[in-house]
Amino acid sequence: MREVYVIGIGITSFSRLDYPLSEIAAYPAMMAMKDCGIRKIDHLYVSNMGAGRINGQTGLANAVIDTLSQTPAGAELIENGPASGASAIKEGFMAVGSGMHDVVMITGAERMREVNNLEATDFIATLTHPIAEYIYGVTLPSLAGMFTRMYMEKYGVTDRHLAMVAVKNHDNALLNPFAHLHQKITIEGILDSPEAMTNNPYVSEPLRFFDCCPVSDGGACVILASKEVAEKIKRPKIRLAGVGQATDTLAVHERENPTDLLAVRRAAEQAMKMAGIKPSDVSVAELHDAFTILEIVESEEVGFFKKGEGHKALERGDTKLTGRIPINPSGGLKGKGHPVGATGIGQAYEIVTQLRGEAKKRQVKDAKIGFTCNFGGFGNNVVCLTFVRED
Amino acid sequence: MDILGYKCKKCGQLHYPYRLVCKKCGENEHNEFDAVPLPRKGKLVTFTFLHNPPADFMVVKLPLGIVKLENGICITGQLKIPRPELGMAVQGEVEVVRESGDGKNYGMVFYPA
Repeated sequence: MREVYVIGIGITSFSRLDYPLSEIAAYPAMMAMKDCGIRKIDHLYVSNMGAGRINGQTGLANAVIDTLSQTPAGAELIENGPASGASAIKEGFMAVGSGMHDVVMITGAERMREVNNLEATDFIATLTHPIAEYIYGVTLPSLAGMFTRMYMEKYGVTDRHLAMVAVKNHDNALLNPFAHLHQKITIEGILDSPEAMTNNPYVSEPLRFFDCCPVSDGGACVILASKEVAEKIKRPKIRLAGVGQATDTLAVHERENPTDLLAVRRAAEQAMKMAGIKPSDVSVAELHDAFTILEIVESEEVGFFKKGEGHKALERGDTKLTGRIPINPSGGLKGKGHPVGATGIGQAYEIVTQLRGEAKKRQVKDAKIGFTCNFGGFGNNVVCLTFVRED
Repeated sequence: MDILGYKCKKCGQLHYPYRLVCKKCGENEHNEFDAVPLPRKGKLVTFTFLHNPPADFMVVKLPLGIVKLENGICITGQLKIPRPELGMAVQGEVEVVRESGDGKNYGMVFYPA
């Protein structure tokens, strides 16, 4: 395999966007082309989950490549649920790494606010097992609620720990101009005050409103290139050094140990092994906190902390911007937002920004090695990426 | 009516939900599974009350749980248990669990044993 570099990045605000889906994919792509000064790409991967179902548009990649006037370059749509973004980056990595292409664009987009929240949740729920989960009314929040209850019972995680994740990620999102939620929250306001039950009602017990990410529209793009191309571009050199992916049973109840997220563990191991690093080498990470519990559990499964001790690290402040291993400096899915098909690329955007040293007020000091975990289904299909700054 | 598990004819591995290839021995001939009714008794592994469930459900809160059945197989189902507790003994009945324009879906509903 050849070495693969991230040469350009772009992003939209994650919020409600009132322009067509193909443009949500195209604007970050234009920004990424401007970022690296590249005018022509060899291939395009578009990551998206809901175009066919919620936006009534299929073949999205064809629309995006044409909008960008990049025909006749090849283009494909990659769908892997909420992990579509990192899956598409993995495809781009293989295309450049194999030598088939020199410059590959990966752009992700989602426009979920076109439907109401209930419809959006039901659309995501179609990820669950059709006859063993979906028919019962199982949604992603309900799987997360059931998982959280087991984790609380087994490891002593409390609703206060969950709230600490939300407060931290909202604080980080305040420093990110592209974040969906620019709202300061406090433990007092969402947990302790007399108004807490009104401010922060249950969604899927024991998870509450502020334990769940918002439903967002948004797009993000990275451009990958060979070393030869990357060397001509006057930007800090960020190498996509490791890629890992693993799957797990579709029905969550079938997993041998119900408090494990084995696909996260396996994908992370692969992504770090390929890059030749250990968890303790990572200087900044973006983890898939669609629910607050997931940030805690993923921080353990990827190897930053021992199993069952993620919440203790949170208490110590290890995962804050100034901590030992800052997690979700962008605000994460919780604060930045979760336009499902774009989320994994949004994570990569943040890590590249951090490694370039261009994250301004949310900059993690001396960030050299970055890591992302993009979690599809309820841990059914997970893609992890390792990025290294080369000076 | 029963909820069915699928037992591999070659190695005896029981699957729920079904697979076309055995997860233990990799057997992949067609119809190499025996359909066997799942037991009804089990213990509650975890549960949630899902607030504002999908539109097909005309309730404010939908109680859902995962139950470990007597034979060790786990199953997701709905609960009709006023105050569920982890580890409690439960008894399943097969009932309509979802009704929509596409028709009725039958599944396991658990009651206190």
